[in-house]
Amino acid sequence: MPPKKFSFKRYRKFILPLIILLAVTEATAIVCGATFGKLSDGIFNGLAFLGNMYPPDWSAFPEMLEPALQSIIIAFLGTVFGTIISVVFALLAANNLANPWVRNITRVFIAIERSIPEIIILILLVAAFGLGAMPGVVALSIGCIGMLGKLLADIIEEIDPLMIEAIESVGGNKIQVIIFGVLPQIMPNLISYALFRFEINIRLSVLLGAVGAGGVGYELEYSFGMLQYHRAFTAVIIIIAMVFGTERLSYFLRKKVKTEGALT
Amino acid sequence: MIEVKNLTKSLPNGRKLLDGISFKVKKGEFVGILGPSGAGKTLTLRCLNGLLKPDSGSVIIKSENSQPLDICKIDKRELRRVRQKIGVIFQGYHLVKRLSALENVMIGRLGQISTWRSMFYGFTDAEAEEALKALDQVKMSQMAGMQTGSLSGGEMQRVSIARAIFQSPTLLLADEPISNLDPSNAKTIMKMIKPLSELMPVVGVFHQPEMTAKYCTRVIAIKEGKLIYDGDPKLSNKRLEEIYGEELELIEQQEHMIPVTAK
Repeated sequence: MPPKKFSFKRYRKFILPLIILLAVTEATAIVCGATFGKLSDGIFNGLAFLGNMYPPDWSAFPEMLEPALQSIIIAFLGTVFGTIISVVFALLAANNLANPWVRNITRVFIAIERSIPEIIILILLVAAFGLGAMPGVVALSIGCIGMLGKLLADIIEEIDPLMIEAIESVGGNKIQVIIFGVLPQIMPNLISYALFRFEINIRLSVLLGAVGAGGVGYELEYSFGMLQYHRAFTAVIIIIAMVFGTERLSYFLRKKVKTEGALT
Repeated sequence: MIEVKNLTKSLPNGRKLLDGISFKVKKGEFVGILGPSGAGKTLTLRCLNGLLKPDSGSVIIKSENSQPLDICKIDKRELRRVRQKIGVIFQGYHLVKRLSALENVMIGRLGQISTWRSMFYGFTDAEAEEALKALDQVKMSQMAGMQTGSLSGGEMQRVSIARAIFQSPTLLLADEPISNLDPSNAKTIMKMIKPLSELMPVVGVFHQPEMTAKYCTRVIAIKEGKLIYDGDPKLSNKRLEEIYGEELELIEQQEHMIPVTAK
């Protein structure tokens, strides 16, 4: 068979969308003033800035350990309370436990919560509680509902109905169905999702710290504000170590839960 | 004693699933319900413990020290109270897979303890011991600590019998308890259910006429929602044909797999 000649017709369905994509990208870039010139300027500025930050100011390291620990505690408490609240919401949002009205209203609430960024919740809470760790913990707890509530509700709905019937057939009530039939069955998933959420909450607690929840995020914000770039660099290193560390820990634990059923 | 009177249930389109089923079961009896698939056997059984509400008719439970009660006419709360004393063995075992065998046996008494106690798994040592005894009765005590999800079908069914024993019911229902099991396991299960009929009436749905002939004291046959036979468990071939119709061939095949020694 002779080699086929290039024909526009053959590639039309790839080329056309590509041209449209490029045109849209260029048009939007012009509208908001993002050009390649600015990008290269930015990269050089950024590198120069990083150069200025180096070396980190290790003398600030000891005094940053406490805020770092505070960030971890905020994330931990937020995850613990958030998981507990999420389980309650998940039970109300599962069609095999709650009546359809309750289920639908809870589902809608969970969906709405999921669409609100934690940072907005925090700003509202700071107005209510004032600055500090407390609004951070509450914001992260509420932030869990959107994700954990939905995931757990879906898992509860997949529980074998026979197990629920078993408890109902010996005269057990709803609470007994939940404690003996539902919770043992969802425990492995519950723990691994909670651990995953803990990873997310660590990152969020740093971010929330910068806008008023305290912790290492506040240290970073403060150092930048005071133009102490070497100090800020130390904070960055601590944050990276913290996030990386908890991620490995959570990965390790989740794997254990999955393969050995540990912790359940 | 349990008395079923005129049970009827129909689909919205008017098709009758149960059509005037009536029978009585006394203590000491082990009644097997037979019939082709879709005849309404399991439906009847589910009416007996209120998992299903019939359109009309009544299921009256009389025990020695309480008033006769019609479970088709009581509210949810009352129904929960009645169910505490009705043991059920299901075809699919109905065990919570991630709990241990012992914990599953304890579930049998959930209805009888307060909600507060159950929230903290608050069974007493005496109750745990009794649960272990129930497991011992079905020869499962050495596996008490194992997760039920890792047990075999026969073992799971034995755990569910232990659950029913521990529940100490006044009526025992069995919904195709041996349909998922191989012949030798099926025999073991039947041998374990049989002596329980001396303590309480036992009603079971079965697909194996040979088994009911051997272990039951009485057989009831349901076909197309109607009761067509009630009497001696040993059925003649003609009777079997009457009950099963075209399905008889399938049943006979099963019988070849289950060698029954005629006594």
